Amino acid sequence: MDSQIDQLRVEALQQIAQATDEAGLDAIRVQFLGRSGSISLLSEGMKSLPKEDKPRFGKLLNDARTAVTSALDEARTELQARADRAAFSGVDVTLPGIARAQGALHPITQLQDRAVQIFRRMGFALADGPDIETEFHCFDALNTPADHPARNEQDTFYFQDGRLLRTHTSSVQIRTMESAVPPIRIIAPGAAYRRDEIDATHLAQFTQMEGLYVDSNVSVADLKGTLEFFFRELLGSDAQFRFRPHFFPFTEPSYEVDIRTRALGNADRWLEIAGCGMVDPAVFEAVNGRRGDRAFDPEKVTGFAFGFGLDRLAMILSGVPDIRLFTDNDQRFLRQF
Amino acid sequence: MKVSLQWLREHVELPGSVGALVDLLTLAGVEVEGVQSLGVAIPNVVVAEIQGRDPHPNADRLSVCRVDDGSGTLRQIVCGAKNFQVGDRVPVALPGAVLPGDFKIKVGKLRGVESQGMLCSADELGLPKGEDGLLILRNAPAPGTPLSDLFPADTVLDLEVTPNRPDLLSVNGIAREIGALTGKPVTFAAPGAVPAVPVHGGIRVFSEEACPFYSVREVRGVRVGPSPDWLRKKLESAGLRSLNNLVDITNLVLLETGQPLHIFDADKLEGALQVRAAVDGEEFKALDGRVHRLKAGQIVIADQNAPQAVAGVIGGESSGVTESTTRVFLEAAVFQPASVRRTARALGISTDSSYRFERGVDPAGVLEASQRAFELILELAGGEAGSFSAGKPAAVSEPVPILLREARLASLLGVTIESTEVCRILAGFGLREEAGGWVPPSFRPDLVREVDLVEEVARVVGMARIPGRTHARFVAASESDRRYDLAMGLRRACAAQGMCEARSLTLVPAEPLGGAYTGVPADEWIRVKNPMIDDQVVLRPNLLHGLLKAVSANAQNGPVRLFELGRVFRRGAVEETLHLAFVLSGAVSERTWRSPAGPDSDLYELKGIVGAVLGDGLDFVPEEDSALALCVQVRKGGRVLGRLGQLWPADARSLDARAPVIFGELDLESVANLEGRAVKYCEIPRYPAVTRDIALVGDAGVHHAEIERVIRGVGESLLEGVELFDVYRDPTGQKLPADRKSLAYSLTYRSAERTLTAEEVNAAHGRLREALVSQLGLGVRE
Repeated sequence: MDSQIDQLRVEALQQIAQATDEAGLDAIRVQFLGRSGSISLLSEGMKSLPKEDKPRFGKLLNDARTAVTSALDEARTELQARADRAAFSGVDVTLPGIARAQGALHPITQLQDRAVQIFRRMGFALADGPDIETEFHCFDALNTPADHPARNEQDTFYFQDGRLLRTHTSSVQIRTMESAVPPIRIIAPGAAYRRDEIDATHLAQFTQMEGLYVDSNVSVADLKGTLEFFFRELLGSDAQFRFRPHFFPFTEPSYEVDIRTRALGNADRWLEIAGCGMVDPAVFEAVNGRRGDRAFDPEKVTGFAFGFGLDRLAMILSGVPDIRLFTDNDQRFLRQF
Repeated sequence: MKVSLQWLREHVELPGSVGALVDLLTLAGVEVEGVQSLGVAIPNVVVAEIQGRDPHPNADRLSVCRVDDGSGTLRQIVCGAKNFQVGDRVPVALPGAVLPGDFKIKVGKLRGVESQGMLCSADELGLPKGEDGLLILRNAPAPGTPLSDLFPADTVLDLEVTPNRPDLLSVNGIAREIGALTGKPVTFAAPGAVPAVPVHGGIRVFSEEACPFYSVREVRGVRVGPSPDWLRKKLESAGLRSLNNLVDITNLVLLETGQPLHIFDADKLEGALQVRAAVDGEEFKALDGRVHRLKAGQIVIADQNAPQAVAGVIGGESSGVTESTTRVFLEAAVFQPASVRRTARALGISTDSSYRFERGVDPAGVLEASQRAFELILELAGGEAGSFSAGKPAAVSEPVPILLREARLASLLGVTIESTEVCRILAGFGLREEAGGWVPPSFRPDLVREVDLVEEVARVVGMARIPGRTHARFVAASESDRRYDLAMGLRRACAAQGMCEARSLTLVPAEPLGGAYTGVPADEWIRVKNPMIDDQVVLRPNLLHGLLKAVSANAQNGPVRLFELGRVFRRGAVEETLHLAFVLSGAVSERTWRSPAGPDSDLYELKGIVGAVLGDGLDFVPEEDSALALCVQVRKGGRVLGRLGQLWPADARSLDARAPVIFGELDLESVANLEGRAVKYCEIPRYPAVTRDIALVGDAGVHHAEIERVIRGVGESLLEGVELFDVYRDPTGQKLPADRKSLAYSLTYRSAERTLTAEEVNAAHGRLREALVSQLGLGVRE
């Protein structure tokens, strides 16, 4: 009887080892472990054994059953793994990747947002004003009265009612001061317009970023520290600065800011990037006049203002040769950013 | 303003190099826009006379010349030019000369014939290009004279003078500024004392506000002729052309002092001169040959018959200096800047004179300039002094001292400047310290207030000495911040839908594309009064113009998926509103090796995108509009946000689109108002859902929205979701009559409290089926 069990077990394990598919394994299971399989029949035969032999024989039989079962399971796992491996062998992972259609934010939006994020870290809030402006907000309040040489009507788009398309975002300075009191710390990104011949570097419309800080004791030192910090954040810590005295009707002293930095590809020459200066007392007085109070008494508050163009900056940073690419909306251009 | 360094050197010592001078001016606020080299500074280039010319034995185009270079020995030179004759004097570059472009001249052979130098054209020497071929030197000095004697080397700076500094529109003024910045002494040619001006009844100034001072000096017996070389060269260095000695003198004095002058041919005038306002429609023929119709209020200088000059702008042709002029009136005046500016603008003329009057001339310098010109006339054109008359005495207003407080200076600059330095700086610019403060010189009309003096100090101190200071303040988010964040969030959501952001010009043509599609009546469009070009006339009433244009531009290059977020403009209480627009045309996804191209974008895709971008709770309501093939209104909470649609194929074709054009435009003002609420959490379901499918058959005209409304209308509490998963029509009528439509839905049932039993679900499903059958008369296929 012992040898019979042993023989069946060996026979079963041999067959399992030779099985090539799961159907074969199923047949082996039926042949040995099925209701009328060989091992099951032997357990039937156990009834005729003497009582004292039964436990030992039962254990032998059980061991054989366990061995065959686990061999079957292992063989099945191995067959499945082999099939899995076959399924993946030779898969060409060099086939091109498949991308979902990518959208993109406009390069000007991206640059503008970077600038906004930096200014927000510096404690500036956003402000806003209309594109259609009054002469008061665009010129008069900014110390550029009619007949001022800096007030160039030829370059300004006008409307029938005497209003105009703002020629700079500096009008937002006035709008902000009309409705708020110091301290004021704002930036205002937006469109400005100039009646200019259109060419590779000029559009009738451009994007500016305006800034204004009015408080007690704001000085040129604050202006310098603020703009240097901002542009180092934007253009890299290697940026060098030159504040060149200049003239704007609405600031005094006024400066143009020239920058040298690797990011602009001009480590060897100055590029004019921004205009800035201390808010002219006449601007504060114009605002006071409109408000009917002394909230912006030039003896009590001082301030600085600045502005720079985003289009040209984006052109230089990204090597875009023609400003018109920004408004042509060619997707082959837009997707690059 | 172009200024020659040679000329400046007559008045002040300049820094050692051009670069140092450029830096000095730039950092003091006078921007140098260009640096131009004039003349010939090349050694070994001399005048040569051509003594003989023979054809080259081996080359038809070349000739072999014998030239006298002043050395006593004739020199043989091979030359390719044709424009000269024996006896002409031309420049020769001798061996050893280095011409522009590092071109070294050596003795060499040209096609086998020795050439001992090179005969030069103007541009080979770096001079302005003249006629083709050699530079023929007419009236040239003897052979051997260095060419640098004929064309002295000079450097001309092109300065951008800001409108607040009229004093820098003159050589004297620039010399003065350089002296103030370097501390070097400045000297000017001092004209003799100006004789007392008799106020002459012959001149009448009717417009005293526009003309605070007017004077003329008569010179009799002048001879009009060419100017001497030195005068011509000075004018040319400033970019002016020499005309004749009289006109050149006025231009020279203008360049020197910044005071414009004018000369009338006195014999062409009839009666006394008067300064008056023009009569509306009065005709005036200017020196430039154009006839102008003057407007009332424009100031003219007239004789008894007609205007002879537009004040401060341009002289008249009839009384201009000609070769036969012998008696002249030299005008020296002050005109009000605003008046000159208005007139020059209106006439479309900008002259050196009007440019300076617009910015303001030095009232204290008028008569000195007149005297300087008067002396030059006597010197260069002869003649003798005649009458000297003025409308009234020169009015030089007494300057008011300006107080500069040390504390104010320190607080504005953020750094303390020693008072000795402040004094040195201001005195250097010609200010005089008096008891009440600083008195500015008459040529600095820009110095009026304390802050003007602060600026002068800041210019000289320079930003390098001011320490940068940084500090921040806490700031609350503004309304603009919230709008900005909303806009950026929407932009990113659109980009996540695979769309590129467009940015279009705000000014669009008079008939913008898409005008009909957004339903903005034309009387709400806002036009500019003075457009530049036809393409930019109206402020965009919608964003579609730019996007539809982009469809054409991109149509050749695959699917178009664009959005734009920006301002649109309409007449009304609120003129400027923020809009978001989309345009789709072409395959949803491109073909890859794994799968074919997706279907063309359609209205349903855009509805999906808008839902994803703007969030739940939108209603899409069908709308009939003959301008569009398909149209739905987008509503949220009852408010209309805008519409989505599909263009008629003919309109799409006119855009060169290769696939259906789907668009949408939404007003974000109402969206902005709906935002800002925190999202509320919904419990994640704990019990399983059960789905039941149902296929409904009805008329082809039955709409999904009606079916969904009926299903929802039952108010079945267990119903969680309604999903349409198939729409079927059979045009052949084989499986379904051709006028019928089948819509298959998957209905999801769930309870938040328990696992549903089949009986509960069946009951609920049955109620819904019953409602659909009874309310819409639909058939059910299960």
